[in-house]
Amino acid sequence: MAVSNVLTTARTRRRTAATRARPGRGRLTPYLFIAPAMLLLLAFGVFPIVVAAAVSITDMNISGLADWHNVNFIGAANYVKLFADPDFWQALGNTAFFVIIGVPSVVLVSLGVALLLNRSGNWFFRSLRAFYFIPAITAIVAISLVWGYLYNTQFGLLNWVLSLVGVPPVQWLSDPVLAKFSVALVAIWRGTGLNIIIFLAALQGVPREYLEAASLDGAGEWRQIRSIVVPLLRFAIFFVTVTTIISWFQFFDEAFVLTNGGPLGATTSISIFLYHQGFQQSAFGYASAGSLILFVLIAVITVAQLRLRRSDVDY
Amino acid sequence: MMRKFKKAIVPVVVAGLAFALTACSGGTSADTAKDASGPLTVWVMGDSSKNFEKLVEPFVKSSGQKVDVVAIPWDSIDQKLTTAVASGSGPDVVQIGLTKLRSFADAGALLPLDGKIAAYPNLAASKFADGVGGKATAVNGKIVSVPWVADTRVLFTRTDILAASGIDSPPTTWDQLRADARTLTQRGPNKFGYYIPQWDNALPVEMTWDFGGDIVNSKGDIDFNTTAFHNAVDLYTGLYADKSVPTNADFDQTQGFVSGTVPMLVSGPYLAAGINAAAPQLAGKWTVSTLPAADKGTSLFGGSNLGIFTTSKHQNGSLKLLDFLSKSSTQLNWYTINGELPTVKAALNDSTFTSDPLVKVYTKQLADAKVLPIIPNWDGGVGTNLLKALNSIALTHSDPKSTLETFYQSTAGISAK
Repeated sequence: MAVSNVLTTARTRRRTAATRARPGRGRLTPYLFIAPAMLLLLAFGVFPIVVAAAVSITDMNISGLADWHNVNFIGAANYVKLFADPDFWQALGNTAFFVIIGVPSVVLVSLGVALLLNRSGNWFFRSLRAFYFIPAITAIVAISLVWGYLYNTQFGLLNWVLSLVGVPPVQWLSDPVLAKFSVALVAIWRGTGLNIIIFLAALQGVPREYLEAASLDGAGEWRQIRSIVVPLLRFAIFFVTVTTIISWFQFFDEAFVLTNGGPLGATTSISIFLYHQGFQQSAFGYASAGSLILFVLIAVITVAQLRLRRSDVDY
Repeated sequence: MMRKFKKAIVPVVVAGLAFALTACSGGTSADTAKDASGPLTVWVMGDSSKNFEKLVEPFVKSSGQKVDVVAIPWDSIDQKLTTAVASGSGPDVVQIGLTKLRSFADAGALLPLDGKIAAYPNLAASKFADGVGGKATAVNGKIVSVPWVADTRVLFTRTDILAASGIDSPPTTWDQLRADARTLTQRGPNKFGYYIPQWDNALPVEMTWDFGGDIVNSKGDIDFNTTAFHNAVDLYTGLYADKSVPTNADFDQTQGFVSGTVPMLVSGPYLAAGINAAAPQLAGKWTVSTLPAADKGTSLFGGSNLGIFTTSKHQNGSLKLLDFLSKSSTQLNWYTINGELPTVKAALNDSTFTSDPLVKVYTKQLADAKVLPIIPNWDGGVGTNLLKALNSIALTHSDPKSTLETFYQSTAGISAK
């Protein structure tokens, strides 16, 4: 529902922008309306970034927290150190891996499931919708406990099933390569729920007449999906892709609770790297520098996506 | 995000309330040496504050000083410390794991106790085990904490399984252990001889000590590039090369020991409690012995100390509490209630205490045990790098020479004074 609203707003935005150009009375009114949201954004979004930027050029650590005199300005030293830190590069590489594996999987799986669920509105399909949404609303700690037991090498369910067909124990979370996939799988499983709901909402906005007309013209079901449904879902797909990319760049929860970044740093994303530096080693300056790099990365990629979208056609 | 925010805000709110309460009830006391009224807040490590409340009951009765005990889970101590330091309102007394001592002291969170403990006979350095008393846990030459509970590492063996493989007694040297581990691994598929916890950053250090070396050089700096450490690396990675050790990171040691998958491992007294709880029927089939030796048989002196927060308004009450907690009888009582070993010599030598054969081994090992170097962030920094280097050689076969070289560079020159 929210998405169909967003869709209509997107569609009407350009029109109103053209008619609203009149200057004068009431110019301030819109700003008044967005002021509360803006203030919150400034206080909890922009201000922390500014603070992080300021901290990132100091050697702030826990003794600096206790006494401001222990904080020294060190210029770009944190950034220089960061780019020479093999652990940071490993974390960056891991994050890239998670984004490349995770984003297409989440988008395609949720779109696919949403299309299938949309085929019928009977009780079975409706309860399936709830079923697919459960991972999204379950606490991450519970999820990781359950998956931890499934993946466990000694007494995990997966290895027990494999042992029935004579496969030796697989080290789901201990093998540096496999652990990446195991952790990503949990995150994909957890990430699809919400996106399925978004796609389902968007699917309600696809006019029946188009599909009817197409089927009268002899288009098969596959053809209808490809040529009518997916193009009409463009904005939903775009929205899901952008938010999914951002969340996978900030990948943290699943790897933190399942492996804490291990084995040998194989599942350490940038966020986990920053958490270790900032909260375990109390190297606040260093961690702030890293978080700023992550912020710039996400900002650049999101802006690039928005630019590409702008040149797109609206239906 | 919300979860983390909540975690961070709770201590602030609690501390804020505590402050408000003391401010309300405290009135205006002109005498600064006197404690503010109100309860004394103690942070203890663990999931429950019940046992500690029970322990301090006699103290509360005799002194009239109320004590508020707050249990802090081990995982969240870093965040709690950060918020306490940043907000300037911590507890009065805090339990500090030895590897965290430096971080607490560097943050200026701990009150220097050098001049203060003289008035309290139970707090004299000589009363405590040599491994942790006085200068052994001083930071920059200053005493900022007093020992509380001890922990050490000993060898656990499944005597029944060893006997079945023709091994009469637990190995007493690391060479013997390696040979025995090979023999025990041959029991069949998915059977191993020994277990190395992949998160145990103390084990390679214990091995280094046992080869007659140290990881701190004569200048007081961290230095791993020594013959003793090279020998320790050979032993550590050799056990993996022999295929005597399970390679999965999620191996459960209690489960593995009880099921017999690994009949030998080095662990702390908590494992004995774990085995007794998980498999009481195993009694008599396993034993503990002091750490295998090479040149020496030195083990880890772990555990926790107690310190007083700089911001405490109950310094006298806190010192009295520390004095009470350092009584031999209190420490023995704590062992009975909570199973943690005492640090006071009188308690460690108490004959009723050492009559337990397990305890006898622990106390014997504690007499030959050392604390890890007191550096900022052992666990997050040097300890992590140490395990990363060793495990990448053992598990992913990275080049030992270059891996160790990188490791030496990353840790060289860190002062452990």
